[in-house]
Amino acid sequence: MPMLDPMISSPPLPVAPARATSRHRRGVIGVGVGLALTAAVFATRVLAPSSTADQLPNVARDFLTLSISVIVESIPFVFLGIILSIVVQIWLPESLMQRVLPTRPVLRRAVMSLLGVLLPVCECGNVPLTRGMMVKGLTVAESMTFLLAAPILNPVTIITTYQAFGWDNGILAARIIGGFLIANLIGWLFSKHPRPEELLTRGFEASCRVGHDHASHTPRLQLSIVAFSSEASAMLPALFIGSAIAGLIQVGVSRDVLIALGSNPVWSVLALMALAFVIAICSNVDAFFILSFGSTFMPGAIVAFLVFGAMVDVKMLALLRTTFTTSTLTRLTLVVALAALVLGLGVNLIA
Amino acid sequence: MLERILARWQGLALSLIGIVSISWLALSGQLGLYIHPRYFVFTVVMAILGGLLTLAAFAVTPEKDEHEHESEQLEPAAPRGRWRVVLPLAGIVAIALAFVALVIVPPSTLTTATVENRELNSSATGVESDTSSNVELAGSDVSSLSLRDWVSLLRDGSGSDFVVGKTTTLSGFVTADSSDPENVFYLTRFVITCCAVDAQPIGVPVYSPGWSSTYAVDSWVEAKGTFALNPSGKSSESVVMANPTVSAIDQPAEPYAY
Repeated sequence: MPMLDPMISSPPLPVAPARATSRHRRGVIGVGVGLALTAAVFATRVLAPSSTADQLPNVARDFLTLSISVIVESIPFVFLGIILSIVVQIWLPESLMQRVLPTRPVLRRAVMSLLGVLLPVCECGNVPLTRGMMVKGLTVAESMTFLLAAPILNPVTIITTYQAFGWDNGILAARIIGGFLIANLIGWLFSKHPRPEELLTRGFEASCRVGHDHASHTPRLQLSIVAFSSEASAMLPALFIGSAIAGLIQVGVSRDVLIALGSNPVWSVLALMALAFVIAICSNVDAFFILSFGSTFMPGAIVAFLVFGAMVDVKMLALLRTTFTTSTLTRLTLVVALAALVLGLGVNLIA
Repeated sequence: MLERILARWQGLALSLIGIVSISWLALSGQLGLYIHPRYFVFTVVMAILGGLLTLAAFAVTPEKDEHEHESEQLEPAAPRGRWRVVLPLAGIVAIALAFVALVIVPPSTLTTATVENRELNSSATGVESDTSSNVELAGSDVSSLSLRDWVSLLRDGSGSDFVVGKTTTLSGFVTADSSDPENVFYLTRFVITCCAVDAQPIGVPVYSPGWSSTYAVDSWVEAKGTFALNPSGKSSESVVMANPTVSAIDQPAEPYAY
């Protein structure tokens, strides 16, 4: 187990040799248990009868397939987000962020919203990363600005949006500029909150308070692994629940209703925002998805879909609820929705 | 006590379930049932990294007794009131459901239930620039055209002159034409841009009176036939594959169209 060596061979404080060996032994047993469990689950998967699917009604089958596809698509991004969050929390020098960022709040948030260019994670991976930033001491408003801007202002999203739409009707420009403005609007609004800690859930707020002043004497690698397991415990249940809700809505709500509204300048914007909310796909690829509907929708509706969906959807709300209170999320959703609506209507007016 | 155990193991249990499921899907070549092939490599790499971290997490115990103040940051604060009872139970139920869905139930494609929910050939699903270039490339040899190419040719009014009289072989699963379910069925496939969530059904209509006595809806078939004007008076499709030779096939390894 080369990964575990540093924590065992270089204990932070002088530890009695007997304790070190007992910890070593516990580590080995833990890995053994983990491997055995993995093997058992894998064996169950291989041996599970393959005929049961036919006995399920079609709707139940499709619900499972849709939910699982959201999970399979999102888990890699969540892992990536957790790893980046660990890097920010534990491996980056304490003062780096404070040194690099400008001091004026408006500029700080503007820079934060461009950070996605360096960290091309889609929105579900940004949640753990944003949590890491808050633990590291960035304000709630700054972290929120990053959270909302990064899924849009990142190279992967910009390239896929360009591939899908080129410069047609200013969709790409409206998405980038609109995303930047809305994220900074939210950051500015929440920076006015007199007690920003009340925006956070009690559990997460407590971990931020501790996070600020932890004078670490546990090895970083060990801290990282503990952080992985605690972030996984926070994110994955939310992800699974969010995916199940997304799957449920997909089998329950007929998409025709939304698409029928497509050619009306006002309704099409609202319909596509509703679609973005329920479909919960990553911002990196949503441009291709909406392109597949071709010319049904007006450009403003597409912009609203691309901006709103990247910031808020059912899966995201489930993930964000681990960190922000319900009332914070309600306000956030309302403001983002209103702003996206205005943006969409504006584009329809011009285009 | 219970919530302490859950706080430590819930995430690891779910991540183990997810990782085992993803790696088994990848090993058995079924990842394509859920996501577009362009994400295969990224998904597998992240699953391996996540797997290593999960295993490592089994070995490291958060040292509550030694560093009380530090491990506190890593555990959610205890919930209050009735949530104290409900939350851990919900956690266990979530793990059990995830286990059943990802480890017990066999993977499957989307079915006609989703076709009904999402209009077939809605708008211009297939019409993209690469289709017309595919058609030009094909010239008179139309055997290389995919189901998706045919769908966009049929939808595009100007294409019907080209289509009528052409013979080809296509496969898909069977769904009924809602305007004339007795005589016309569709060879159906889902188009995937990212993952199964965004699947859009597309289909080529086949004229075959009484088809439903031989082929069940949702079953996979291959049909060889020549495109002609639709003999059915009721169907809303103008051009169909007529006089088809239809044979039942197994679900192909790549059931979706990309």
